[in-house]
Amino acid sequence: MELSPTLAVKFEKLQTSYPVKRSALIPMLMYAQDEYGCVSDEMIAEIGRRLDLNNVQIEETLAYYSMLHRKPTGKNHVQICTNVACMLKGGYEMLDRAKRRLEIGHKETTGDGVFSLEEVECIGACTGAPAMQVNYDFYENLTPLKFDRIIEELDAGRRPTPEAVISGALHERHATETPLISKRWGIKDSHKIDVYVMHDGYQALEKALREMTPESIIDEVKKSNLRGRGGAGFPTGMKWSFVPKDSPKAKYVICNADESEPGTCKDRPLMEMDPHQLIEGMVIAGRAIGSHQGFIYIRGEYRYVLDIVDAAIAEAYERGYLGKNILGSGFDFDLLIHTGAGAYECGEESALMESLEGKRGYPRIKPPFPAVVGLYGCPTIINNVETLSAVPSIIREGGEAYANRGTPKNGGTRMLCIAGHVNKPGIYEVPLGMNMKKFIYEVAGGIPGGKKIKAVIPGGSSCPLLTGDEIDIAMDYDSVAKAGSMLGSGGMVIMDEDTCMVDMARRIMQFYAHESCGWCIPCREGTTWLRKILERFHAGLGRAEDIDIIADLAKNMLGRTFCPLGDAAAMPTISIMKKWRKEFEQHLQGRCPYKSAEALVGSR
Amino acid sequence: MADQKLVKLKINDREVQVPQGTLVIEATRRIGTEVPSFCYYPGLSLQAACRMCLVEVEKAPKLQTACTLVATEGMIVRTDTEQVRQARKYMLEFLLTNHPLDCPVCDKGGECELQDMVFRYGADSSRFVEEKIHRPEEKWSELVYYDAPRCILCFRCVRVCDEGMDVKALGVGMRGANSVIIPNREDHLECEECGMCIDICPVGALTSGTYRYKTRPWEMNYVSTVCTHCSNGCKTTLSVRNHEILRSNNRDLSGINKDFLCVKGRFGFDFTKHPERIRQPLVRKGDKLLPVSWEEAAQAAASKLKAIYDANGKDAIGFIGSNRTSNEENYLLQRMARGTFGTNNIDHHRTADYTGLVTALGDRAADSLLTMEQLYESKAVLLIGNDPTNQNPLVGWQVRSGIRHFGTKLFVINSNEIKLKRKATQFVKITAGLESAVFKWLAHEEGQLATALVEQLVLLKAELEAASDVAIVFGAEVSGAAIAQLVAFGSKLPGKTRYMLLGDYANSRGAADLGVLPDRLPGYAYVDDARAREGFETLWGGVIPSKAGLTEPQMVEAAQNGAIKALYVVGANPFAHFGTLGYGRGKLDLLIVHEMFLTETAKVADIVFPAASAYEKDGTVTNTSGEIQLLHKAAEVMGPRTDFDLLRILSHQLEKLGLGKAFHYKTPAAVFEEIRKAVPAYNVASAGLLTGGAEATRVQFALNGHAPYDVPVGLIRSAEDTLFTSGTLGRFCTMMDSVPEAKAKP
Repeated sequence: MELSPTLAVKFEKLQTSYPVKRSALIPMLMYAQDEYGCVSDEMIAEIGRRLDLNNVQIEETLAYYSMLHRKPTGKNHVQICTNVACMLKGGYEMLDRAKRRLEIGHKETTGDGVFSLEEVECIGACTGAPAMQVNYDFYENLTPLKFDRIIEELDAGRRPTPEAVISGALHERHATETPLISKRWGIKDSHKIDVYVMHDGYQALEKALREMTPESIIDEVKKSNLRGRGGAGFPTGMKWSFVPKDSPKAKYVICNADESEPGTCKDRPLMEMDPHQLIEGMVIAGRAIGSHQGFIYIRGEYRYVLDIVDAAIAEAYERGYLGKNILGSGFDFDLLIHTGAGAYECGEESALMESLEGKRGYPRIKPPFPAVVGLYGCPTIINNVETLSAVPSIIREGGEAYANRGTPKNGGTRMLCIAGHVNKPGIYEVPLGMNMKKFIYEVAGGIPGGKKIKAVIPGGSSCPLLTGDEIDIAMDYDSVAKAGSMLGSGGMVIMDEDTCMVDMARRIMQFYAHESCGWCIPCREGTTWLRKILERFHAGLGRAEDIDIIADLAKNMLGRTFCPLGDAAAMPTISIMKKWRKEFEQHLQGRCPYKSAEALVGSR
Repeated sequence: MADQKLVKLKINDREVQVPQGTLVIEATRRIGTEVPSFCYYPGLSLQAACRMCLVEVEKAPKLQTACTLVATEGMIVRTDTEQVRQARKYMLEFLLTNHPLDCPVCDKGGECELQDMVFRYGADSSRFVEEKIHRPEEKWSELVYYDAPRCILCFRCVRVCDEGMDVKALGVGMRGANSVIIPNREDHLECEECGMCIDICPVGALTSGTYRYKTRPWEMNYVSTVCTHCSNGCKTTLSVRNHEILRSNNRDLSGINKDFLCVKGRFGFDFTKHPERIRQPLVRKGDKLLPVSWEEAAQAAASKLKAIYDANGKDAIGFIGSNRTSNEENYLLQRMARGTFGTNNIDHHRTADYTGLVTALGDRAADSLLTMEQLYESKAVLLIGNDPTNQNPLVGWQVRSGIRHFGTKLFVINSNEIKLKRKATQFVKITAGLESAVFKWLAHEEGQLATALVEQLVLLKAELEAASDVAIVFGAEVSGAAIAQLVAFGSKLPGKTRYMLLGDYANSRGAADLGVLPDRLPGYAYVDDARAREGFETLWGGVIPSKAGLTEPQMVEAAQNGAIKALYVVGANPFAHFGTLGYGRGKLDLLIVHEMFLTETAKVADIVFPAASAYEKDGTVTNTSGEIQLLHKAAEVMGPRTDFDLLRILSHQLEKLGLGKAFHYKTPAAVFEEIRKAVPAYNVASAGLLTGGAEATRVQFALNGHAPYDVPVGLIRSAEDTLFTSGTLGRFCTMMDSVPEAKAKP
C-alpha cells in the first residue's frame, strides 16, 4: 500500500534499526495506527512484506496488545483509568460521567467518530488520580468540571493542554527527602543535555570509561548494595556479574521502562525530567558487561516521554556520549528506544524480550536466565529505569557512599510514589529504610479529613496489603518482607477507613484477569474465575461458601503459575481475605456497607 | 549414544538411571510412572504452560514442572504426594471452568486426554457457578473445524504447524482467558491441510471435516496399514466401522512416521467408496464394456491370451505392472510374464531410477541406502531435485525434524525455489537439466560451469566434507549415468555417505525390487544372469528368456504398430502417461486391465477386472527408502478382488488351457515367504514387520559385467504429484479435492 512520506521514512528506519527485523513489528503497528486510526488488512500485508512475516504472525502479535486496534477508534480516544489509585479518587465516577456525556459505553465510538471511550488499566498517573488519557495526552486530577471542559474543547476541535509533567513530582522537598537521582527535577530544561552536563551530567561516564575497568564498575555497583527497583529487589551488581565474559555472542542492555504496576509512576518523571541520567547509566552498564547495544522498552502509553527520551538520545549521539568511540575511549554503544503497546505482562523481563522481538508478550522458561540467554538468545541484562538511573550517582560518588545513604544490604535512596487517600500524593526520594508511618504522615501529609488508615499497598498492587496497624516499619526490602509484604516497585496506595475492601479485591483481580497473558492455566483461568466471583460478591450476590472458595483459589494459584503474575494476583487477594474477611461477611447481608444503596444499583 | 553420561535420580523412591539432559517427565515415563501433561509433547518446543506435570522435588521451595526440569545426579522426585495430587486437581478444575463439558456430542469423547485426566486426577464436583465464555464454532476449511470453548490452549497445534510443518498457519489471538487459536486467513485456513493440528489436539477443539459427528471411537476397529499414496510409506491406522474407513491417523506414534501424516494420508481414503468404483468384471461387447460374471471374464481373459500366445508367440504379449499393488502382487505378475508366458516384456511406470542407483552402488548397495530414521538422524543432508514438501512429505518432515532436534545441516540443489529452501544452510539454484554436470564437477572438478555456480559448489563441497555423515537425497531429475557421478562424489566424502532416491506412489520401489522390469529379475539380478534365471525357473517352471524385454514406453509404442498383440495392465494407466498425440490401444488385439476406476486405459480395454485398493488387502509394500511394511486389510468393498486373487484365478484358467503352472499360494503371506527365500534383500526379520514396524532391505545382486548407463529419455517420469494429487487415486478423493489449495497451482 501507499504510505505517507513520514510513515514511509519511519518504516525504513525501523526496518534497519534492529539486529532482527521482526523487532520492528510493534513500533510499526503503533505508528501505522497513529496515522490511520487502526491497523488495516492492507497495512498488515504491507508490514508483512517489509518484515518477512505472514499475516498470522502479525495478527497474533497485534491481538495481544491492548493499545492496538483492528477497527478504528474515535478521533479522540478517551481512556479513563479506574485502577486502584484512580478508583479511590473517583475514577469510576469519571467513567460514568464520560459514558453519560459522550452517550457511549466502554470500547464504543460516537456516531460522528469524534470520540471513543475505554476503561483502561493503570496508566502511570497515580499521583495525579483520577486521570485519563486522550490519545497520548495525559489529563490528571480530574474533577467533573475539568473533565467536561476537556471534552468541550476536544469537541470544538481544539487540543486542551495536557500535563507537562506528571502531577506530584514537582513539590517542595520535605526535610527528610534526600534527592539524588531526582535532584535535577524542577530545574528548567532538565531534560536537555546542556543542563544535565551543567549538573554533574556524564561525569560518571567519563570516569567509567577513563579510570575504570568493566570489573571495577561491577565491583562498585556491588558495593553500592543497589537492588533492583522494578519490584523483585535483586542485587544489581550480582546480576551484571552473571553475564558470561567469554561469550562470542552480542550482549545487550535493556532498560525496563514498561512501568505498569498499579500505583507506580516514578519511572515516568525520571525519564521525562532526566533522560540523560538514564542514558548515562545504560552506557556505563554496557561498558560493564561488554555490550554495544542498549534498548529502552517503554510502555506504549508513555508516548510523549518516548519523544523526550528519543530527543535526548539524539543529543547524546551528537555530543559523542553514544555511538562509536565514546569520549575517545574506543568503546561503542548504540541505544534505541522501543515502544510497547499496552501489556502489563511485558514488564516481566522475559516477556519483555519476547515483545521486543516482535512477538506476543509470553514469558520464557527459566532457566536459562537472561544474563545467559536473553534478547535474541544472547546474554542480556535488564534493569528498571530507577535502577539504571542510580548508576551514574554510584560511579560518581562511589559505591560505598551510595550504600551509606540507605541501610545495610539496602543501599541508596528510593523513589516512592504515594497515591490514594493522602493529602500530598506525589513522588518522593527518601533514604531506603525510612519509617513507613512517618513517610505517610509527615512526608505525604497524612490522611484527608483526619481519617484512619484501613489498608496500605506498600509497593504496587501485587504486594500483600498491610493494615493500618502494620505500617510502623522501616521501608527497606527486608523489613517490609518481614511484615509479610514487599517493597515492590515503590508504588504506595493508601486506603482510608471508608474503603470497601471487597471492592478493592475485585478491582485488583479485574486488573490481573485483564492482564493475564493466557499462557498458563492457573493464571489464565484462576484470575478470570476470581474476577467473576468477586464481581458477583460485591454486587450483593455472594454466597457464604464463596468466601472460602476465593481464598482457596488464590492459594492454589500461588507458586504454581508460569510467571510471577499469578502470584501477583494471588498475594493481595490472600491478604485481603485474611485481614478483612469480616467485610466479606458483611456483604452477605446483601449490600456493600461502604456504598449508598443507590450506587449499588447497576453495580459494576 | 554409547558414550553418553548417565545420571541417577530417585523417583518415588525408585532409582532411575537416565542419560544426562533427560527431562524429569521422560525419566518418570521410563519407569512407567505417569506424570500428566497437556502441553508437553515430545519433539516440540517446551511450554510449561499447562502446569499439569508439577512434581515435588526435594529441596525445591515449590512444585516444579517435570517437563522443563532436567534430571540431575541425586535428584529426589515425588510424583504422587498429597501436594501434587491436590495441584493436579486444581489445575483440572481451573481448566474446566471455561470448558463446555459437551462430551456426549464431542467427537473426542472416549479418546479425550482431558476426559482421561479428569477421570484420573480430577475433583468429583465443580465449584464453578459463573457464566462460561462462549464462542461459536468456526469452520476453517472443509477439513478443519475449530471449537474455541473446548480449547485448553496447550498450543500443540500452533507448534506442530510452525515447528513441525514450517507452515505457520496457526497463531494465538486475544489474550488471557479470551485467548483463542486463530487461522492465517482471518476466518479460514490456507495451508497444506495436513490435519496435524487436528491429530495433535488433546481435546475436541480441532475436529476433522471428514470424521466429525460420524461415530464414537469405541464403535470402530483400528487397523494399522501403510498409506497408499506417495512413496514414503507412512504407517497409518485406519479407523473402520462396518467395513468402512472413517478416519486415518497414527495416534500411537508407531512406525517410521510416528504421528506424521500429510493431507493424503490423513484424508485421502474416500476413493474406496467412490460411486465410480468398478464393482463387476466388464467385457467389451461392441463399443461397450458390459458387466459379466467372474467366470465369463476369467475364461475370456485366459482363452484370448492363450490364443494370441499360440498364434503370435510369447513376445507378442506385454505386461505393465503397478506402482501401487503389493510386493506379492508385483512378484506374481512378473512370474506370470516370465514363468507362465516366458517373456521379459514387463515393466511399470518408473518414477525414479532405483535400478540406476543400485547399479551405481553395486556391492555397496546393501549398506548404503538410507532409511527414514537415518535421514532424521543425519548430520548433513544434500537434497538434489524433487520437492519433498509436495512429493515426499515424510522426507520433508524427517529433514525438518532433524534440523530442529539435532541441528542437521541441509543443502539444497534445485532448479526451483522449493519450500525447504527456508530451512537450508545453503541453496544452490541451477538450471533444470544441469544436475549431471553439477555432480561431474563435484566428483572430479571437471566440466564447464558458470563461475558463480562453481563458487557455490566449492562452499558446498567443503561443508559436506566436514560432516561426519551425509545423506544424499535425490529425485527423478537424476537418473542413469548421472547417478553414477553422484555416487562417485558421495564415495569420496570422508564421512559415511548414504543415499535415498525419491520416487512416487506407494510401491514404486517394490515394483523395481521385485522385477517388474524388462531386464531385471526380482532382486535386480540381470536377466542375462544364468544362475539367477535358473533359480526362478526351478521355482516357477518354464523358461525365462535371457534377453531383456520391452520397457513400458516401448510396449505402448509397440501396441501402436502391432509389434505386440496383447497388453496386460495391472493398476496402471499407460495410455494416459504415455498416450500423447492420439496414442491409444493402437493395433492391440487384446487389452486386459485390473483397475479400480475406468481410467483412460481401462475405458479402451477388452476386459476389465475390478481391483481392490491397498486398504482392502493384506500383503507388504516397500517404500522409497527400501523399507518393507505390512499392509492389513481394513475396508471391505463389495465387488472388487485383490490383484493377488485375480492373478491366481487367471493362472488356474491358463493351466486348464495347458499354459504354465497354476499359482498355489493360499495367502499373500505365502508369496512373501517365497520372496524371502528367492530374494536375499527381502529376507528380513518378520518380528519387526508383525509389530507394525518397517524392515530395511539390503539390496545385493551380481552386476554380471553390467555398468550404469544413460536411460532413454522418457523412461523415468516423475508423477510430479502435489500434496493434493495422487495419480488415479487422487482423482477420486472427493474430500481432498474439496479444499481450495488443491486447485491452486503448486
